[in-house]
Amino acid sequence: MILSVNGSRYEVQAGTRTLVEVLRDDLNLVGTKEGCGVGMCGACTVLVDGKPLSGCLVLAEQVAGKEILTIEGLSQDESLHPVQQAFLEQGAFQCAYCTPGFVLTTIALLNEKPSPSDEEIREYLAGNLCRCGSYQNILQAVKSASATGVKHHT
Amino acid sequence: MAIGRSVPMLDSVARVKGEVDYLVNLRLLNMLVGKIVRSQSPHAKLLKVDTTSALQVPGVVAILTGADLGASAFYGAAIKDQGVVAVDRVRYVGEPIAAIAAESLDAAEEAALLIDVEYEEMSSVFDAREAIQSGAPTLHEKYPNNVFIHSRLRHGDVEAAFAEADEIFEDTFTSPLAQQSSLEPHVTAARWDGEQLTVWAATQAPYMVRRVLSEIFGIEQNKIRVIVPSLGGAYGGKGHIRIEPLAAAMARKTNGRPVKFVLSRAEEFVTVTKHAASITLKTGVKRDGTFTARQVTIYWNGGAYADASPLLIPQGMVRSVGPYRIPAVHVDSIGVYTNLPPAGAYRGAMSSQTTWAYESQMDIIARRMGWDPLEFRLGNLFVSGDQFATGETLHDVHFVECLEEAAKAMNASSPLAPIPKMGQGKRGRGYGVMMKSTVSTSKSQARMKLDDDGTLTLFTSTVEMGQGAHTAMAQIAAEALGTAFEMVRVVGPDTEITPFDSTTSASRSTNMMGNAVLAASAAVKKKLIELAAPLLETPAEELRAENGKVLANEAFIPYAEILKRNGLNSLEESGEYSTASKLDPETGQGISTPHWHQGAGAVEVEVDTETGKITILRYTASSFAGRIVNPRMAQLQNDGNVIFGLGPTLMEEMMLDGGQVTNPNLADYPIPSIRDIPVELVSVCIESEEGELHGIGEMTLPPVAPAVANAIEDAVGVRIKDLPITAEKILQALKEKSQP
Repeated sequence: MILSVNGSRYEVQAGTRTLVEVLRDDLNLVGTKEGCGVGMCGACTVLVDGKPLSGCLVLAEQVAGKEILTIEGLSQDESLHPVQQAFLEQGAFQCAYCTPGFVLTTIALLNEKPSPSDEEIREYLAGNLCRCGSYQNILQAVKSASATGVKHHT
Repeated sequence: MAIGRSVPMLDSVARVKGEVDYLVNLRLLNMLVGKIVRSQSPHAKLLKVDTTSALQVPGVVAILTGADLGASAFYGAAIKDQGVVAVDRVRYVGEPIAAIAAESLDAAEEAALLIDVEYEEMSSVFDAREAIQSGAPTLHEKYPNNVFIHSRLRHGDVEAAFAEADEIFEDTFTSPLAQQSSLEPHVTAARWDGEQLTVWAATQAPYMVRRVLSEIFGIEQNKIRVIVPSLGGAYGGKGHIRIEPLAAAMARKTNGRPVKFVLSRAEEFVTVTKHAASITLKTGVKRDGTFTARQVTIYWNGGAYADASPLLIPQGMVRSVGPYRIPAVHVDSIGVYTNLPPAGAYRGAMSSQTTWAYESQMDIIARRMGWDPLEFRLGNLFVSGDQFATGETLHDVHFVECLEEAAKAMNASSPLAPIPKMGQGKRGRGYGVMMKSTVSTSKSQARMKLDDDGTLTLFTSTVEMGQGAHTAMAQIAAEALGTAFEMVRVVGPDTEITPFDSTTSASRSTNMMGNAVLAASAAVKKKLIELAAPLLETPAEELRAENGKVLANEAFIPYAEILKRNGLNSLEESGEYSTASKLDPETGQGISTPHWHQGAGAVEVEVDTETGKITILRYTASSFAGRIVNPRMAQLQNDGNVIFGLGPTLMEEMMLDGGQVTNPNLADYPIPSIRDIPVELVSVCIESEEGELHGIGEMTLPPVAPAVANAIEDAVGVRIKDLPITAEKILQALKEKSQP
């Protein structure tokens, strides 16, 4: 099957494996993490046609033909995506295992709703868990990225 | 000044790009996948572990069972009761019985199903207080009543002191099993090159891992290399030996091919837990608002193996007394074996359980006696110069400031707007204060290399697990040496390269490794001055080193130039910092800790009387921080502790059925999400004039549960004594209260 990831097309033998397994094991896109395996923690979040999806809950087969964006697709060089920049500036992480998932969910949120309220941010990010408890700074980072008002879709 | 600046973490760019090299990403040449086969019985004799069919599965390279192990294949911090895999008996559901090394996970999983295990079931016990009853099944014959440690503190005559009390309060508070739940699971890879062993481990204690592996395999420590990349969280769960011995034993059977084990989320729940605890506090008070005596009895559920409990339970004893002047104190801190997974440190280790007890009882006492809970605390809190129940004199304690700052910040703010609810919303406020010891005896070493281009490399075995320790160490080094923060690199841990450190736990690194870095910096400066003296034609004692230069009165030379003019490409120096404290094992008298961890919290909650739902409106967290190295990272520690602490307070509980964990996943075992954080969360760090470096990794966590319980009683008049405080428990208590 053909998997379209970060603008490139890959021929993969996915079998019955999940999207996160194929991304990590076959394509070496290891920025995406598997945290819980049941779609609760959001560490494996990728954007599929712009919508956040838990990579542990879908088989790679199911997203054939769709456009997949992982954390590696946000910045091809030294520069950072504005949402990554906001997370860096606000110190919105500690161990950072959850960070790629949060960054991608935030991008989807800001594409849907460029100026979300605190409550809307909390609602949208509720499926991403940060065990270190950096949520205050994550909230600030989302607001700061929102305030930059740039077009977030890559 | 490098200290006091909110510089971003050293590898911030990698962190936001998802490029941190966590161990889950590790790939080695010819690497095999490891898979653990676990016990399905809580307590049984192992009659048979037959691997014949499993070995036939294509892709299976080797299988490890108890039959492969020698007599030394047992470990534990003080009691070596835990096998690398089970040998002839299993004692909890999930205990490793065998391990498989295979070319693929599919092959390993297929083989796991084919290993034929035959059990002879034995009776089992899961509750610590049941396990000490006569007739309860014995887990380890050497400890027939299942008590593997009993720590005692005896200070004053409690019976006489209770006789002097006007009122005596006796309450029992419980905390259930909980799981550390780092998003990165336990991961270990191991490879043998002849008699040389290399282990890549997600651990907080690389040198402990090296020592224990050396004991198990009977090889010199210098034949073992332990490498630890950045961790995806640990919270105590990676603080002691976990799967490293198993991985190394497995790799011994694969002819030099490395094997990597990555635990599943379900396996995490049977690998290490928070100690379930039952704590009974008997406290005598006088009508004038002072204490006469306190008697504490704690049963810690250690699970099936002692693990680190013999180190933690004596700490739990010290941490159970509380930060108040109480003339007579007795504590019995008792560790009990049960047929559950082994318990270990869980962020705020032991203090989370003990603070839950003593700070809840503070409000019970204050309410019954008609005292203001805040004033009652402030009137009794320790101040520097007071004597603690161990007999030691307290220095540099700031409990009053911590509590006052937390209370002030909360009470100064204006009421929050109404929040949506089903029924009537009732608001209340509560407080909690925590007094915690750190590791009593430990050592940190640091080495520094200064290059002739001014680059400073710090070699440290402090583990970076998200707390920002490497960044803080770089700031301390930069400041101490007077060099630019941007010129500092941090390397480690790698036991082949970086010098000794006891552990990255108990909030000790900023203090202990920080002081080792200061010592190494002083040594580098001394050397630079010696090298510069002839160049400046000035005696060394008249020179000083600062801002990247050695200065005489008029002249100066930059560090890099000192090296160049002496023909040196680099110079290296080391520093060390150690502490040693000791308590009498019979009486608990002596010195328990080099310094005290101090934190407080003030919280306002709203309880929906229709649904029992608890909303944390605002929380102010304060910690004593000594000298703050990085304000934003300090705030993240304080905030993170509160948010982490809301888990065991409101939702975290491992459910069990016949010793089997029935909710070993993050759907049925919820941890706090961004929707659970307080509407307002404020962090306060208290600094001292002395400017000592202190750790702050856990200070604001233990006060969370009692502060919330106290605020709930303030709001709706019900007292919950068993964690977690769920909506169901509130509703039940409200129902009981309304039925006279």
